[in-house]
Amino acid sequence: NQGQNSSNRKWMKGFKLLGILDVQRTPCARDAILHGAGGSVAAGMLFFLSTSRVRRSFDVGFAGFMLTTLGSWFYCRMNNAKLRVQQRVIQEGIRNKVVYEGTSLDPTNRPRADAPSGPS
Amino acid sequence: MAHPSQLGFQDAASPVMEELLHFHDHTLMIVFLISTLVLYIIVAMVTTKLTDKLILDSQVIEIIWTLLPAMILILIALPSLRILYLMDEINDPHLTIKAMGHQWYWSYEYTDYEDLGFDSYMIPTQDLAPGQFRLLETDHRMVVPLNSPTRILISADDVLHSWAVPSLGIKMDAVPGRLNQTAFITSRPGVFFGQCSEICGANHSFMPIVVEAVPLEHFENWSSMMLQDT
Repeated sequence: NQGQNSSNRKWMKGFKLLGILDVQRTPCARDAILHGAGGSVAAGMLFFLSTSRVRRSFDVGFAGFMLTTLGSWFYCRMNNAKLRVQQRVIQEGIRNKVVYEGTSLDPTNRPRADAPSGPS
Repeated sequence: MAHPSQLGFQDAASPVMEELLHFHDHTLMIVFLISTLVLYIIVAMVTTKLTDKLILDSQVIEIIWTLLPAMILILIALPSLRILYLMDEINDPHLTIKAMGHQWYWSYEYTDYEDLGFDSYMIPTQDLAPGQFRLLETDHRMVVPLNSPTRILISADDVLHSWAVPSLGIKMDAVPGRLNQTAFITSRPGVFFGQCSEICGANHSFMPIVVEAVPLEHFENWSSMMLQDT
């Protein structure tokens, strides 16, 4: 139990970049920063290899970091938002399954065994 | 509830608070990127050997640093307005509770079906049972049914108070002579703590709010028991 408590406390501490962005607890933050770092190194290296301008390579690398981080962040957040909507729809459906089963509001719309299938 | 040295929000217990958390993450990432950009520019300006005292204007950079902040503000404003209007929606509440602020306690009235009312005083530190939270526990909790839209009407009897529960994303001023309305849905069972959020006198820090979300049958049992006691 003490081991669990200490691991929970370690998880709750988080790691804050610049003291503000908790990359461990914020969804998508860690992936966005890592993608940004990779994009930054790639952009900077490519620019340097093609132009041999050191200072401008750092600028290009930084621009790459910003763009890659933003792109990865928004892509991940959009996907998470869509999943959240689906999750709520499913939760609502599970909650209402018992209430609506067999009625006209049943989303599965299975025909009942004793109901006439056509004009009698 | 909050834990010691906490800087971030508490875990969300209502859909509105979940949306607020997501919006906060979104805005914080933008703030982080802007801070990183400013830091980089400072380092670049301090370490450059180039100086040019004769630059008067530059059309390109002026267009960039006008359009970019405008786009960032739009990126922040759109989800913000969405949540603002989401918070104003009150969709057919199943229960209405009145919360009245007094010096220095809250009172709650459940008058939809029967006349149930009770006061909620903070439990003094010396009377706490082991495991209870200092300055947060009350003798009577405001119990609400789980997953049910609940409307809460907030007012005050004497001076300004404010009814706030961070986990639910609610803060509403209790103004004497005025009725403020807000609504919430608790999406998970539990006990959620809040504290008075408007200075109201000597014991302003000692009139907490406790909301307990329970399944409907437990809520019915609780309300029957409270009616019998009163």
